[in-house]
Amino acid sequence: MSRSPKSSVLFDALGPRGQARARNASIGSGIVFAALLALAAVQLADQGFFEQSRWVNPLDILIIENAWLPALMSTLKAAVLGSIGALLLGVIVGMGRVSRFKAIRGVASVYVQFFRAMPLLLLIWIPFTIDGAFGATLSMGLDAEGRRLTFLVLGLAVYNGAVLAEILRSGINALPPGQAMAGHAIGLRHGQTMRLVVLPQAVRNMLPAVLAQLVILLKDTALGYVITYPDLLHDAETIGRNYADSFLQVLIIAAFVYFVLAWGLSKIVTLVERKTSRKVAKGAAKVAPSIPLEAGAPGTSAKP
Amino acid sequence: MFDNFDLMVDAMGQGLWVTIWVTTVSFIVALIIGALLAMMHVSPAPPARWVATAYTGLFKNVPLLAILFILYFGFPKIGIVLPSWQWAIIGLGTYTAAFVGETLRSGINSIDLGQAEAARSIGLTFGQSLRHIILPQAFRTVIPPLGSLLTALVKNSSLVLVIGVPELSAQAQRLINDNQDRFDLWAVILGVAACYLIVNLPISYFIRRAERRAEFAR
Repeated sequence: MSRSPKSSVLFDALGPRGQARARNASIGSGIVFAALLALAAVQLADQGFFEQSRWVNPLDILIIENAWLPALMSTLKAAVLGSIGALLLGVIVGMGRVSRFKAIRGVASVYVQFFRAMPLLLLIWIPFTIDGAFGATLSMGLDAEGRRLTFLVLGLAVYNGAVLAEILRSGINALPPGQAMAGHAIGLRHGQTMRLVVLPQAVRNMLPAVLAQLVILLKDTALGYVITYPDLLHDAETIGRNYADSFLQVLIIAAFVYFVLAWGLSKIVTLVERKTSRKVAKGAAKVAPSIPLEAGAPGTSAKP
Repeated sequence: MFDNFDLMVDAMGQGLWVTIWVTTVSFIVALIIGALLAMMHVSPAPPARWVATAYTGLFKNVPLLAILFILYFGFPKIGIVLPSWQWAIIGLGTYTAAFVGETLRSGINSIDLGQAEAARSIGLTFGQSLRHIILPQAFRTVIPPLGSLLTALVKNSSLVLVIGVPELSAQAQRLINDNQDRFDLWAVILGVAACYLIVNLPISYFIRRAERRAEFAR
């Protein structure tokens, strides 16, 4: 990531005249962007967007305690349970994808292909609704909120399990085949080779991609809205209905909380990325140029 | 059972059409904004880079559903009223644009600087080196991730049902809510699954083919 106007594939290093031009361009663009921001702010202020009461009222201490915090906790609960389920499923299906047995490979591949092509929204909504229509057979003995949590977690786990399986598989495939061969050559059985040689390296290489996917999972808990799971977005809408004047403000506050959570998590991802990239030996285990990440996250590009 | 099979197929067909249409238009919007963002990312002017970074960080870390809510339910409160399909395209487009921008930037960055230097040292002009050396390689690395973005967008387009756009998932939801007959339920579920597979599987097939070609060409 070249942050300074040094030479890059798109630019030659700038000479003195070019530097002067770049300086003018940055001053000009700075003025333009600032003007646009100011214009938007004036427009918003005209509509009373910044009125203090609109921001302060829905952040009353009582409402924070009784609505915001429980909503945050349910979002986190769904995210944590969903991550655990997705990781378990991802490892199982991912191992199936590289199994020695053709039948197992086939089943795992159908699972991945199918669930990666389905919208998560339907994977949450359809089982929940069908279960209700058939008399709640799958979720017997659960209260209404437990039912919603179950189906939200189920959908998140099934979908992200497929994505994580694919990430794990590409990690295993990216290892040089010599690693497994060496394992066999020193007399390890297939399972031992997998467990002791292949998996630890694959997991370490793919850790950034896995964590990035878990950040996406955290954002996707907002889909609990469609089965009225009382998560952050759902409760924000309820609060907004009670304070009709600050509806937009409430939604922006909720979006900001999501932003802080996801951004914080992705900062951790970058830290991990830097750590693991130092550990991996040079020349070994380069990751494929494009990891097929789902739900719109091609951010993790490995330089070839 | 199945007394309204034709109605069902009809509704699904309409939904599929809306899904494809919304996805296509939003993807074009995302490509345009994403290309702009990528240019701003590599621009020598710092304010342009700051704006691109802020945009990408913002849209990558907020759930799409929250963005759609803010647009459709929130913006009318400050006097901006648009029909729901326009908000759907704006929401999906601006959201996906953040990812497109990142993809394009990392695609360009993945080209070794030595390639550009070699091109210049054999006497190609800057434009020629860009046209013959840099962009063809960048294009090739960028196509597969852009393809996965497109399949993600097809799936993400299902979220616009919460703001009332009658796309495929919305039609399925309506049909399932209307039909309590068990057999019809399964027919609708199989139908909607088949529709998403019909759209998404060919795209991922072409991604894999493009990936394999890119590997050979290296």
